[in-house]
Amino acid sequence: MAELLIDPKIRGWVFLPIVVITFLVGIIRHYVSILISSTKKVELTQLQDSQAMIRARLLRENGKYLTPQSFAMRKHYFNNEESGYFKTQKRPPATPNSSAMLTDLVKGNFINVLPMVVIGGWINWMFSGFVTTKVPFPLTLRFKPMLQRGVELQSLDASWVSSASWYFLNVFGLRNIYTLVLGENNAADQTQSMQDQMSLNAAGQMPQDPKAAFKSEWEALEICNVKSVLETVCEDLLASNNEPISNNIHH
Amino acid sequence: MASTRVKTRETKSGEIVAFSEAAVRQNLINIEYVKTSLSSLAGCTAGILGLTGLIGFIFYIAALLIFFGLLIVKTGPTWNKYFISRKSLLTNGFLGGLCTYTLFWTFAYGTMHVY
Repeated sequence: MAELLIDPKIRGWVFLPIVVITFLVGIIRHYVSILISSTKKVELTQLQDSQAMIRARLLRENGKYLTPQSFAMRKHYFNNEESGYFKTQKRPPATPNSSAMLTDLVKGNFINVLPMVVIGGWINWMFSGFVTTKVPFPLTLRFKPMLQRGVELQSLDASWVSSASWYFLNVFGLRNIYTLVLGENNAADQTQSMQDQMSLNAAGQMPQDPKAAFKSEWEALEICNVKSVLETVCEDLLASNNEPISNNIHH
Repeated sequence: MASTRVKTRETKSGEIVAFSEAAVRQNLINIEYVKTSLSSLAGCTAGILGLTGLIGFIFYIAALLIFFGLLIVKTGPTWNKYFISRKSLLTNGFLGGLCTYTLFWTFAYGTMHVY
């Protein structure tokens, strides 16, 4: 393995600038995303519907702790043929307000893809063709195209890193540093923010068609026939009173 | 996120212990911060020392183990008041830390020993 002698000027003008640029671009991404992100507007009826659904579900699960009359009262509030919530509320199938979603999409792309392409391309163009550094561990030949992008030399050892690849090493390695510098939920890291968007879409939305959701919830509540656990509570209490005191703690 | 949410865990004796989820998460976030600092510092150290090859990776694992040992000494026998699982303190964020470690290792090694 022939040792290469690298001009120290490469360190000052290529090696360090790439680290600094990658780091600062991450910081800028974070603040730009704060600047242009908009809080999602929730429609009032949508929120009302989702809260009603949650209440109905809670009633189904925990109705056994209510007295039968209270349970029937709440059930009627949702399921009564004439005045029940699920019967009277006729919602049109929700149309996704496309313009807002489109803006979100454009913004997401603007934050995520654009810097990646622009900065990556710029670094490729500006610092092309430098061998910048050497990774301190041996690598097989298979890593050559990955680590030596822009420097296609047959005889160069695989552990030398070109400038473009040094940029990508930085992108992946600085991910945790952003967490340290910017706090937990930062937008500096591109892969992370993409995942966030996906999960936000999945969790924050009501089912697209409230009518169908209402119908299924109505059905579930209709067939839900709870047996009150409080029916035998007097007997339980009296029975436990007759037992020794040590058993009284568990009821 | 509801701050009052409670997470439970069942011990071997069948007893159920309740945790405040927010507090446990806060603890894990702090551990994550310390680990990031640890892996970057260990990377710098390894690079300045000029470790190469397998020894460098062993150094990373050794640093993690030392950190884990210090954490155990610090929390003492009451560790289960602060964390749900002790093993996850060692294994959480291993690969992300390795990324950071490798970057700093390469960086310090490059600036010190290549030029």
